[in-house]
Amino acid sequence: MSVVPCNCNHTTEKDNLSGESESFHKFFECWISEQKQHLKDLLAAESTQLISDEELQALNDKVVEHYEYYYKAKSRCAKQDVLAMLSPTWMSSLEEAFLWIGGWRPSMAFHLIYSKSGLQFEARLDEVLQGLRTHDLGDLSASQLAQLDEMQRRTILEEREITDLMARHQETVADASMVELSHVVSEMIRANQRGEVDQSKEIENKVESTLVLKEEGLEKILLKADELRFITLKDVVDVLTPKQAIHFLIAAAELHLRLHEWGKKMDARKCNQGFGEGKSHNSSS
Amino acid sequence: MAGICCGVVGEGDTPAPLEPTTRPSRRRSLDILPLKYIADMAVPPSDGSRKRPKLDLRDRDNVVQNCDESTGHKVVKKEAKVEIHDNISETKNVTVADASEVEDSPKFGVTSVCGRRRDMEDSVSVRPSFTQGFHYFGVFDGHGCSHVATMCKERLHEIVNEEIDSARENLEWKLTMENGFARMDDEVNRRSQSNQTFTCRCELQTPHCDAVGSTAVVAIVTPDKLVVSNCGDSRAVLCRKGVAIPLSSDHKPDRPDELLRVQSKGGRVIYWDGPRVLGVLAMSRAIGDNYLKPYVISEPEVTVTERTEEDECLILASDGLWDVVSNETACGVVRMCLKAQKPPSPPGSPGSDVAADGSDRACSDASILLTKLALARHSSDNVSVVVVDLRRDQRQSSNSN
Repeated sequence: MSVVPCNCNHTTEKDNLSGESESFHKFFECWISEQKQHLKDLLAAESTQLISDEELQALNDKVVEHYEYYYKAKSRCAKQDVLAMLSPTWMSSLEEAFLWIGGWRPSMAFHLIYSKSGLQFEARLDEVLQGLRTHDLGDLSASQLAQLDEMQRRTILEEREITDLMARHQETVADASMVELSHVVSEMIRANQRGEVDQSKEIENKVESTLVLKEEGLEKILLKADELRFITLKDVVDVLTPKQAIHFLIAAAELHLRLHEWGKKMDARKCNQGFGEGKSHNSSS
Repeated sequence: MAGICCGVVGEGDTPAPLEPTTRPSRRRSLDILPLKYIADMAVPPSDGSRKRPKLDLRDRDNVVQNCDESTGHKVVKKEAKVEIHDNISETKNVTVADASEVEDSPKFGVTSVCGRRRDMEDSVSVRPSFTQGFHYFGVFDGHGCSHVATMCKERLHEIVNEEIDSARENLEWKLTMENGFARMDDEVNRRSQSNQTFTCRCELQTPHCDAVGSTAVVAIVTPDKLVVSNCGDSRAVLCRKGVAIPLSSDHKPDRPDELLRVQSKGGRVIYWDGPRVLGVLAMSRAIGDNYLKPYVISEPEVTVTERTEEDECLILASDGLWDVVSNETACGVVRMCLKAQKPPSPPGSPGSDVAADGSDRACSDASILLTKLALARHSSDNVSVVVVDLRRDQRQSSNSN
């Protein structure tokens, strides 16, 4: 696999607010096309018997690293412009509607595995009951199930903690400093309208420094959320056998890619029909 | 949209205007899923065909919901860990007990998972040889919060033990179990009215958390009897010679005798996403739920069944299983596992030897398979399953092999 050609770090136009967003958008398109290639690799590995556990493991590692790469790039971009990361232009409206703090909800990973495991389990129930091994996700062992269950409960708790952090941070939008500043600035605007002039540079700086604090808070929360997303993915993969992990990563990639496509189609349809402000990004992926 | 049901509701005239989910029909079709190995089984009529999707109290109770979302996370975390710890130590104790009393202890397997729910409110209590050659198995499915189910797990076997002790010579199972359940319910209500806090997400809530309860299905296995006491919609099913025999009958508010009982006390069963007592609780008996007394009672129905040579296994489970898996299918799955020479669980999978925890391998395989089947069939609830091997000759045959 080639090294990812689009490096998020190259943005220099700090003054241009859309800069970070555009740059990450490009990165995302590029990352998605790599994910498609990984999906092909995973499917190929899944369909052949002539592949060792070590080779499967290496492929899984590569795919997990690719996710890690995504979150590293995202966190670098968030340092520059967290707001852009929280209102992603690279996603469809459909995906955006299901976002939890700028990405997928971590506890979804367990639903994904239960759903995929369930499908594979029922498809080969007779074999399972006869004691035959299916080597897929239908084959989850007692200890795997126990570990996943424990991880799921922990993940939900952490998810709630982060949701809580976000709630508290959102409430600070109306804290005393914000309310006071908004009043002071409103007074200034009214004074200006009366011709009493004199915009205070000091106040402007204060507004900026206050808003910077808000952004920093958001950045920390986004970072925690992304960490939980990646750790959850990695932990789930670690609980599985290499062969099972292949199945899980296939399911994850398929769901992500198809959801992205479906969403973009929906956006395009709405755009064509001239409804509202459907997402206009229909780049080729 | 809520219809009030005034007469005895038969299957045909069940007004269920709010039955929006597609689960019942899906379940019906999936239950006919061809499981080859049960095709030749005599299939008695299912007892629980009138079950409906249960919307937990918590889904509609803002107070509890808030408690859930905004408070006590760390506490919950602690509790979750303790819970896991408990399970481990419990099974370890079991191992010890097993070793010393191999003669009496039936083999068993336990699985209890959160599943597709965001809260774990099920509890399981397994106490082999909890008294003089009697073995105790209990499944508790909490609603509102987990603390009533947790209390049942921690206390009910002790209380029942005391009741058995005090009855001694004239042990009358029905009375003993009724007393035990009544005392359990008392403890729960006293505790929720005291200022004692719970180590669950109710903490920081008002001390009076009346709107919390739990089902309880308890099986006591004696050398010659199966005593099943049930309160709520968890269930015990006996598999005898390939036939599934329910040993408890779910306390659904639209069960004709339960409906009459609720109404005779002046209560009403209102259809709101299925029949609910006062439009709130989707079962007519439970431990706790003080605010729904006297309509919702904690008195168990007790069945005493003589054990026979043809008994194969006993399955206790929460409605997370029974909502999507029929009694017959469950028995079929367990029979397959008990009969299997080779256990169906993947032997080489990572850490699978950890599962060797004092519980029996074949029974564990059975409980896990049932749990996986429930998850596969989109069970949206916590799933808890206990499988007890009742075969008499199991030790002989395993020795001779």
